Amino acid sequence: MKALDLTVSPAPHCHCGARITRVSYNILLALIPAMAMGFYYYGFDALRVVAASMGSAMLAEAAIQSILRKPITIADGSAAVSGLLLALILPASVPLYLVVVANFVGIVVGKQCFGGLGANPLNPALVGWAVIRITRAWAGYLDFDLALVNYETGFILQYPLAVLKAQGSAGVAHFSLMDLFLGKQVGGIGSSAIIWLLLGGLYLVVRGVIRWEIPLSFLIGVAVIAGIFWLGDRTSYGSPIFNILAGNVMIGAFFLSTDNASSPVNQWGMLVFGFCCGAMTVVLRSWSIYPDGVVFACLLMNLFVPLLDKIKKKQPLPPALSPVTPPVMSKSAEERSAS
Amino acid sequence: MGLRSFFGILPPKLFYKDVSAPVELLPVPEKITLLWYRRTPSDLAVGVGTEVETGQDLARNGRGPFVSTVTGHVDEVNTFLGVDSREYLAVQISADQKDNFDPSLPAVEDLSEAKPETLRASVNRAGFTALKSIIRDPRVWPAIDALIISVLDLDPLSIVNQQIFRDNTDQVQAAVELLARTTEASRCVLAVPDNLAGIASKVSTGAATVAMVPPVYPNGLPEILAKNCGAGLLMKTYDTGFAGNTVVVSLEHALAMVSSLQTGRPMLEKTVTFSSGKGELQNFRVRIGTPVGEILKRASVNPQPKGKLILNGTMRGYACFSDEQPITATTESVHVQEPSEVFFFQNTQCTNCGKCNAICPVDLEVNLLGRLSEYGIYDKCRGLGIENCVECGLCGYVCPASRPLVQFLTRAKQGLSEEAQEPAGMEEALECNACGPVCPAIRLFDTESDKEDSPKA
Repeated sequence: MKALDLTVSPAPHCHCGARITRVSYNILLALIPAMAMGFYYYGFDALRVVAASMGSAMLAEAAIQSILRKPITIADGSAAVSGLLLALILPASVPLYLVVVANFVGIVVGKQCFGGLGANPLNPALVGWAVIRITRAWAGYLDFDLALVNYETGFILQYPLAVLKAQGSAGVAHFSLMDLFLGKQVGGIGSSAIIWLLLGGLYLVVRGVIRWEIPLSFLIGVAVIAGIFWLGDRTSYGSPIFNILAGNVMIGAFFLSTDNASSPVNQWGMLVFGFCCGAMTVVLRSWSIYPDGVVFACLLMNLFVPLLDKIKKKQPLPPALSPVTPPVMSKSAEERSAS
Repeated sequence: MGLRSFFGILPPKLFYKDVSAPVELLPVPEKITLLWYRRTPSDLAVGVGTEVETGQDLARNGRGPFVSTVTGHVDEVNTFLGVDSREYLAVQISADQKDNFDPSLPAVEDLSEAKPETLRASVNRAGFTALKSIIRDPRVWPAIDALIISVLDLDPLSIVNQQIFRDNTDQVQAAVELLARTTEASRCVLAVPDNLAGIASKVSTGAATVAMVPPVYPNGLPEILAKNCGAGLLMKTYDTGFAGNTVVVSLEHALAMVSSLQTGRPMLEKTVTFSSGKGELQNFRVRIGTPVGEILKRASVNPQPKGKLILNGTMRGYACFSDEQPITATTESVHVQEPSEVFFFQNTQCTNCGKCNAICPVDLEVNLLGRLSEYGIYDKCRGLGIENCVECGLCGYVCPASRPLVQFLTRAKQGLSEEAQEPAGMEEALECNACGPVCPAIRLFDTESDKEDSPKA
């Protein structure tokens, strides 16, 4: 048979067109409005943090991959996404060396040590943030009230969650919920732009980049547990709506907890994961020393992902084989009479 | 095939095409090639140069049937590596344009009165390899619980059975009744895609029930049809037994079988759908054994260098390396891809996005199975139900990392069946210990100390 110059490869011979790069670039696209809000309020300071963060994340990935002699995959955009996410939850005044260190630790320890994209049990951006937060000398840079004291933004320069922690619900009465929703609140560069994060997140859900289960159950988890606290003691704890609109909940629900590699794949696992993230957030806000608990809640729940992945539909057992029996020949009349 | 839509909140759906394309009969080509799976030239009753007639059994006594679909003389007999990488015996016949029918294949007299055994024997003699599973002797094989006659096609790019249903609506009833009698199935189902509901309402199917099936891939695959409209499991045979008691027959094969019982002529022609990146779907009816090149010539499409020529559809089909590849009784479609349309798998890691889990028609945890198989951990795959995989190809179709997921799953299945066949030779290995010093797992090297450490029972 004469062979033609054709490509021969196994089935399926077509593809729906989804690519990892498109996932990352869609997330970057969805984060642009929130990032732009940060630039609007904090100007050049926000720009330099975002640029340094994305640049150092990609540099860290390229460096570790070239040291390990692996193919360099910064073009897939996953490092850029984690760099941008880290920048958006940091205050605009944070020193650049902190950003670089956090990104290197996040990418190298949080991601590449485990085998790169898809193998990371923790979200690298959150690992980077946690490193800054738990280092005693650096933790002060994440105090939004101190970090943003020199900015002129046109809204109340107090971190709502810190006020809530210090003064109870009476202290946050002067925060208008509409202002919080429109992003007029002190917080990270992008994490306070609630409405833009919500729109960006809904865009990702509609495009199928992230599944709807985690964001929805995350928000429900925050609302339910915050509601229980609030009903129990209205003077100390914030209302469910306040808890959703303040701090990192919106960026956590749509962007931080939905990282593919560090979240469950099955529907019920995702629902439980999201709910527990939200619940843990409120628990940390209420009982820990930190004003906001989203990042630690997500990191904690990331560790439970292998367990949550075991929640699945029961698979039918493989078919039981029945042996093939030889045909039963009817005995002839002579044989029957002989026996 | 189209790209996914802008909205991705639900998994992408592959719809079967709802178009009608008249069937065009192609003339008998000069040369045809007949394929016979896993046979050698010694199984043939004919040699090079023998004159053969249409419908003649070429197999040596008792090894067949292996039916010639043309009249002519045998040109060449050799082994042939099929597109599915299996060894075939290939018989090339120079065909005359005129058919002399072999008289040794009589029609069944008095069809309405004939016994099921007579019908089965006649079908068996006519060499319906595609129908092997339904003409088994019920004394040996289990009784068929549900017989499904499928109007759905196997691939979204094939419209063979749909078109035959449109064209031969009046013959469907007779086919269903005759097939039900031949197989002695306890119930009979005609599976029709939703878009043909109008035509289906005109068919009176007697004892058979009509099942309307959404025209979405992979609803036309036999395993899925058996699950949704039958007794649950498709009848399959293994070396050690069988499982399932539903059989699925395509409408084209059912009608060919009826015509064979009426006229005594075996299935000589096969309808295939031709498609390329551009242009409409076209249906051609060709002699079984016709090279694919004849269809390409008629459709005036030439596969370009580095392009792809695919038999049996883009989801489960095989890519050919030659246009001399013959059409067989089970070829459903021919598809030509341009070099720019060719899709390549990549050796990338799973990103755990779960798209494969969401689309899997049998609810497998494909992300986990793919990774387990990638690292050779086959025994864990069994607990995850890997035997249920129907190899529909949807996981590979949606994977954003372009991982060859179907191949990973197939490899695991193959690995499991190889393990099952391996003789339990562990004791002998422990005795000689020659492998111990080189064992990478250092497992067998310390057999003595292992024995001492192990708790005494």
